[in-house]
Amino acid sequence: MTVQVAPPHVGISHEDRAAVQGQSGWLVVAEQESRDLWTSGRGLILLFLFSILLSAVTYLTSTNQALNFLEQRESVNLVLQLAVAVGVLVTLVVSADGISGERERGTLESLLVTPVSRRSVIGGKLIAALTMWFATFVVTIPYVWVLARGVGILGQALALGLCVGTLVAVGLGSIGLLISGVCNSNKTSIAASLFLMLILFAPTQLPSGLPQGWFFDVLRRANPIDSALAYISSILVNGHSWTQDLSYLITPLLTAIIAGGALVLAGPRLVRLTPGVHAG
Amino acid sequence: MTSMTVEAVRLTKHYGGRSAVEDVSFTAGQGEIIGLLGPNGAGKTTTIRLLTTVLEPTSGEFSIAGHPSTSANEIRRCVGVLPESSGYPAYQTGSEYLRFFARLYGLGRSDARNLAAELIATVGLEERAESPISTYSRGMRQRLGIARSLVNDPVVVFLDEPTLGLDPGGQAHVLDLIRTIAKGRATTVVLSTHLLPEVEDVCSKVVILNRGRVAVVGSVGEVISKALIKQSAELRVPLDLVERARNVLAGFPNLTVDQTAGQSDVLNLAVDGAGTGGQSSDIMNAALAAITAAGIPVLRFELEGARLSDAFFKMTSEAEV
Repeated sequence: MTVQVAPPHVGISHEDRAAVQGQSGWLVVAEQESRDLWTSGRGLILLFLFSILLSAVTYLTSTNQALNFLEQRESVNLVLQLAVAVGVLVTLVVSADGISGERERGTLESLLVTPVSRRSVIGGKLIAALTMWFATFVVTIPYVWVLARGVGILGQALALGLCVGTLVAVGLGSIGLLISGVCNSNKTSIAASLFLMLILFAPTQLPSGLPQGWFFDVLRRANPIDSALAYISSILVNGHSWTQDLSYLITPLLTAIIAGGALVLAGPRLVRLTPGVHAG
Repeated sequence: MTSMTVEAVRLTKHYGGRSAVEDVSFTAGQGEIIGLLGPNGAGKTTTIRLLTTVLEPTSGEFSIAGHPSTSANEIRRCVGVLPESSGYPAYQTGSEYLRFFARLYGLGRSDARNLAAELIATVGLEERAESPISTYSRGMRQRLGIARSLVNDPVVVFLDEPTLGLDPGGQAHVLDLIRTIAKGRATTVVLSTHLLPEVEDVCSKVVILNRGRVAVVGSVGEVISKALIKQSAELRVPLDLVERARNVLAGFPNLTVDQTAGQSDVLNLAVDGAGTGGQSSDIMNAALAAITAAGIPVLRFELEGARLSDAFFKMTSEAEV
């Protein structure tokens, strides 16, 4: 059997390639990661499950509205909070698979020997994970539209959800990637991320929220999800202006800055093979 | 003159207190296929990971295509790698996978598409180019991995166990591919493998690693010579010409000739004393030439102890003592 090997490909020079790659390495990674996420069906399944959940919640809130048990603004607030919480959860889970998953599937080493920087790899993965949040948000739009009819808060609710949700998703997506980089096993990484989500999300699910008092207020404000949801509530339900309760956004903002910064600084050391794996 | 494309000088890698690779030095020239051999845990994969900048050496230095180890990005642009047990994204097609890597090296969409098609044809996967990789056989995946390692027209290609788990047909196909990559592209190929016959077949140079250290470096012939393996041979001639053959062989003072028990037409030849390695081969060749020159038909001639596998076992077992 003979094999024909083509002569070396003559095209773009190494220098030109370097320039192009420097500009868009993260974009190529983000594009491919997003395509993998959506064409593999993982993203679509999660989105389908979310839309079922959202349909059920919307039905329940709209029937409660009809019975005057729930004010219309509260219904919009509830659905938007659900979208933020679930969108952030799936972003966290997808990013938690980002590095440890590649390690486990044996695909990381091939990526490491390309001239794309480790930071670009991480940046691309974060963007791909964020597409889950944006898709969740897009699915939420018609539900919010149905519930917000007649009260004139549709635009405000969507803008609020997009801004606050993106802020929280960037922060927790970055944390997910940090966990993924540190964990040797993908299962550990996803379990740790889910546990973190549970800790942050549980207080928001208490029947009457956290008890009143300065301690619980500090606790609420220290939790990026709880404080972000409180901010959304204060605007949609209490009718406050966007600037009135901005202090609620300090923790989500700090989380995004600190986790994102840690990712940029520690990224090159996190995107690596686990010592001794497959060493021969 | 062949220019050196790989130069490793006293490369060392420690994980905590454990040494994975210690003082590894060797060179490889353009278009050369160099075999990296060693038992499991000898440090082959670690050496490849050091040379491809996946790992940082604890000490020592190296250069790839003239780029020093400190220029990791430059090195990544001129090496291609097929890692050991390389994984593949199940949902991507072979063509999509190559396009992705071509774009990581800075090619535009159109160039990446053309290059992917060219490489797919190179490794003989045209018919499956648009099938998901999850439907590929192991051999097809290895060929796809080799295609990926050529995406950037590398000066040096590192192939870590490219024939692992392949059937004989698949092994032969991959070896053909390796040979033609080195010849057709003047690319240096560093081939890590456990299959010694394939190294004898394709490699111009061999590095045997044992417990993280270089046991021997050289051409296959040199490695066998350095192993100082005592050679012997079995010679079968027609029964009525056995005595005549003995008389001919008596002209070689360093050669001991014995009759094989139970087989009166088979003679055992052994080179005495220091007559080992390359010198031993010369004596055996001369003896065989003398037998044929004397008009004695040779029914069988089997040389023992002259294979790379013999040298490999000797080199790797000596260090264990």
